[in-house]
Amino acid sequence: MSEMWINMGPQHPMTHGLWNLRVRIDGERILDVDPEMGYLHRGIEKISEDRHYNEVITLMDRTCYVAGIAWEHLYVQAAEKALGIAPTERSDWIRMMSEEFQRLASHIMWYAAFVQDLGLMSPFLYGMRDRDLILDLFQSYTGGRLTYEYMRVGGVRNDVPEGFTHRAREVLDWLEPRFVEYDRLCMGSDIFRRRCDDLGVLKANDCVRLGVTGPMLRSAGSKRDLRKDRPYSRYSQVEFDVATADSADVTGRYLVRMEEMRQSVRILRQVLDWLDSHPGPVLADHLPRWLGAPYAPIGREAYLLKRNYPKGVGLSAIEEPHGEACAYVVNEGGEHPYRVKFRSPVFANLSAAHHYLVGYHVADIPPIMGSVDVCVGEVDR
Amino acid sequence: MAAEVDTKKRAQGEGDQGLIVKPMYTAARQFMKSLVRPSTIVYPFERLEDPKFRGEVRVASGKPIGVGEVWDNYRGVHALNINTCISCNLCAFSCPDLCIDMVTVPGGDPKHPKKCPEIDYGKCSYCGFCSDACPEGCLTMTTRYELSVTKRSDMVYSPQKMFDQFQRKLPMNPIRLARPANEDAILLDAPLCIGCNACSRDCPTNCITMLDIPKGTPKPGEKPAKRIWKEPVINDSDCVRCGTCISVCPKECLFWGTHT
Repeated sequence: MSEMWINMGPQHPMTHGLWNLRVRIDGERILDVDPEMGYLHRGIEKISEDRHYNEVITLMDRTCYVAGIAWEHLYVQAAEKALGIAPTERSDWIRMMSEEFQRLASHIMWYAAFVQDLGLMSPFLYGMRDRDLILDLFQSYTGGRLTYEYMRVGGVRNDVPEGFTHRAREVLDWLEPRFVEYDRLCMGSDIFRRRCDDLGVLKANDCVRLGVTGPMLRSAGSKRDLRKDRPYSRYSQVEFDVATADSADVTGRYLVRMEEMRQSVRILRQVLDWLDSHPGPVLADHLPRWLGAPYAPIGREAYLLKRNYPKGVGLSAIEEPHGEACAYVVNEGGEHPYRVKFRSPVFANLSAAHHYLVGYHVADIPPIMGSVDVCVGEVDR
Repeated sequence: MAAEVDTKKRAQGEGDQGLIVKPMYTAARQFMKSLVRPSTIVYPFERLEDPKFRGEVRVASGKPIGVGEVWDNYRGVHALNINTCISCNLCAFSCPDLCIDMVTVPGGDPKHPKKCPEIDYGKCSYCGFCSDACPEGCLTMTTRYELSVTKRSDMVYSPQKMFDQFQRKLPMNPIRLARPANEDAILLDAPLCIGCNACSRDCPTNCITMLDIPKGTPKPGEKPAKRIWKEPVINDSDCVRCGTCISVCPKECLFWGTHT
């Protein structure tokens, strides 16, 4: 008996959350892996069927705890399509700004956690320090640090406060030189390169076949980014490049995320300039009161069904920090969505674990799984 | 693409100074700095929201970028002004977690007991929907975030306890949502109304008055109807759109709509 199954997880520093990676090993070689998800299942899709359209937003922040506002954006877009409501222009730009800030925060959080998986402590402290600046920015206009509850169907709750764009630019000025610092800490380190180069290779055609998206797909050389390919929000009006790498390994994913952060800063500068010069309303007019807060629910579903409210379905897809997320909202009339369905990018990325783990060593699992950027909250929903 | 730094080249180019002297110099500089201005806040005894830390906490480079502020719109424990609460139930309606109960507080008359929200913080998700829905602005959220208790029942904040929060005058969320300009109003389907007075009795703002209306003349051969000839008239400017009248109406003759 030279082969055996071992469990990495559900409580393992590598897992970044509650999930279990069963690994069949022969000595140090990985022969087979079997990711087990579901430890964090909260039934968010089912709960959503019993909430008003705006109340579902409170669940979206809990879906992914490092990219809450991106998921809010995803859901709100789908709900607006289902209800036939258009957001105001300014609120759309604010949403885009929030999403890019969230991408920065999420990638920095990834950087901190990933490098700590490799056993390097100081990059973790650098990353957490810089992420806190973005969380402070979030708090100054949404009121929350992780659970924002900021977007509403038809816009956003409130406008950014006075002086916000100035503070945001200061944070961006601070962050930009930090990326060079990060690179020197990691790419300049021989240990880092030896542990990450040619590890966890997943080629582009395999990525497409397995539904793997996001930085993992772009690190394989594919120029696939929903912000460019199918622009939502106002992404067609800003300039940015899609970050790609050719190596399709852990180093490639690192480089893609680092470049994406630079591009996010580039987008944010354009968005902040736009916000400075275009004041306007942030919440659409003529919102039906059965959307939930800030309106009071009226409490009689039967009565609502009697009236001819518009029915419809809404599908939206965004480039979330982890990959391509998708939401589907069915509006059958009435106060609650009839069905809400989410596509989680990390679920697909994790499920393909067999294809990028087999053949490597057990000690390679933390860097490879770290480069996937696992957020179990959205995997299990 | 990202700048790649080659360690070997760096070592050759900068020599020992790059790899040994410079890091040691940086460490020594940071050490001396930390003696002058420690960057640690001794948390339970010092707090970020103390005025002396406002905008003063700096990151390692010494550059102040506003880190360390707890902004006024932070969503923490609620504050309730009992005196202005009108018992409209809107906070309890709009709560996605169903953590708000309306409990009786002293101050109302026996027929109309005054009810104020009681919040179970074990369930609360701090979404702020209740304070957004409050028409009088009496339920707001403060910046207080310390909640640890040793008993589960201590997580339930009675109206009186939230009134204490209000009297502590903590910073409260300054951004209030304006009421939408063309809000739905409550309309009456007159032929269904039996004039029972329930809506007018339970209205928290007393904006419904029962007015006498002229008695309709029965058609020939038809008995005159037995109902009381009163109908509610709603003052839209006073109405807070809480929907209490709709939920107490026994005949479902009140509904949301726009005046045509």
